[in-house]
Amino acid sequence: MTAALGQYLQSGSFWYVLAFVCCAAGALIPGLLVVTSRNILHSALWLLPCLASVAGLFLLLGAELLAAIQILVYCGGIVVLVLFAVMLTHGLGHADVRVVNQQLLWGFIGAAGLAGIVLHMLSRQMWPVGSSLAPGDVTGRLAEALLSPYVLAFEVSSIVLLVAMVGAIVIARAEPE
Amino acid sequence: MTSAPFIPIQSYLVVSVLLFAIGLVGVFTRRNAIAVLLGIELMLNAANINFVAFWRYSGGAQMEGQVFTVVIITVAAAEAAIALAIILNVYRRFRTVNVDQINLMKG
Repeated sequence: MTAALGQYLQSGSFWYVLAFVCCAAGALIPGLLVVTSRNILHSALWLLPCLASVAGLFLLLGAELLAAIQILVYCGGIVVLVLFAVMLTHGLGHADVRVVNQQLLWGFIGAAGLAGIVLHMLSRQMWPVGSSLAPGDVTGRLAEALLSPYVLAFEVSSIVLLVAMVGAIVIARAEPE
Repeated sequence: MTSAPFIPIQSYLVVSVLLFAIGLVGVFTRRNAIAVLLGIELMLNAANINFVAFWRYSGGAQMEGQVFTVVIITVAAAEAAIALAIILNVYRRFRTVNVDQINLMKG
């Protein structure tokens, strides 16, 4: 019994499962708080651990570069942007009287129904489980994929970013009186 | 990390489904336009988890899953910038960001 447990701990499987459970809980519980917090500032701040845990899931899946991008773009960029917008529109910690609209019940029913249907389909489907990861440098292969077969998508997305940046500046600029 | 994955792919898919449903609740039920945007971000992240999980569990030789995720993160950043600029403009004009009070085009 003890030997089996020791071997289990040695194999690394236990730690992988533990890390997965921590990341999953770290994504779902703050995610729930994002949509249920009465204060929009708290919602935006709860987004931070949620997105960092998604980066942890990427790491567990072996996508190191995506985890770094997730931290840089989401935790560093988008959350700060959202916090700026919250403070420019609401004032600090200004909780609304009513934070949900009149479709609260139907929203919950719709989302729970969708989750139920998809989970039911997942439980019926047998997925081929886990071949081991192809050898080689994942980040290097991602770079090669981005710059040889998918170079068009790469360049188009950079143009999208440029246009969005210019557009955001133009839209958010104060109107001349 | 070149060893075989220790858990079935369903664990990642279940996390992804639940995160998507949480984001959907946020989009459906919140009044604040910024909170609706946060719900959309959660849903995009759920899709990203799915893409990376299927990339990993199909052996990781084909890089399409990660390429898709990079493009989605790029578009999500652009979308957040544009949406927040629009929300700022709406606030300047209507003095509110509650989506049920901005009904100028409602007949």
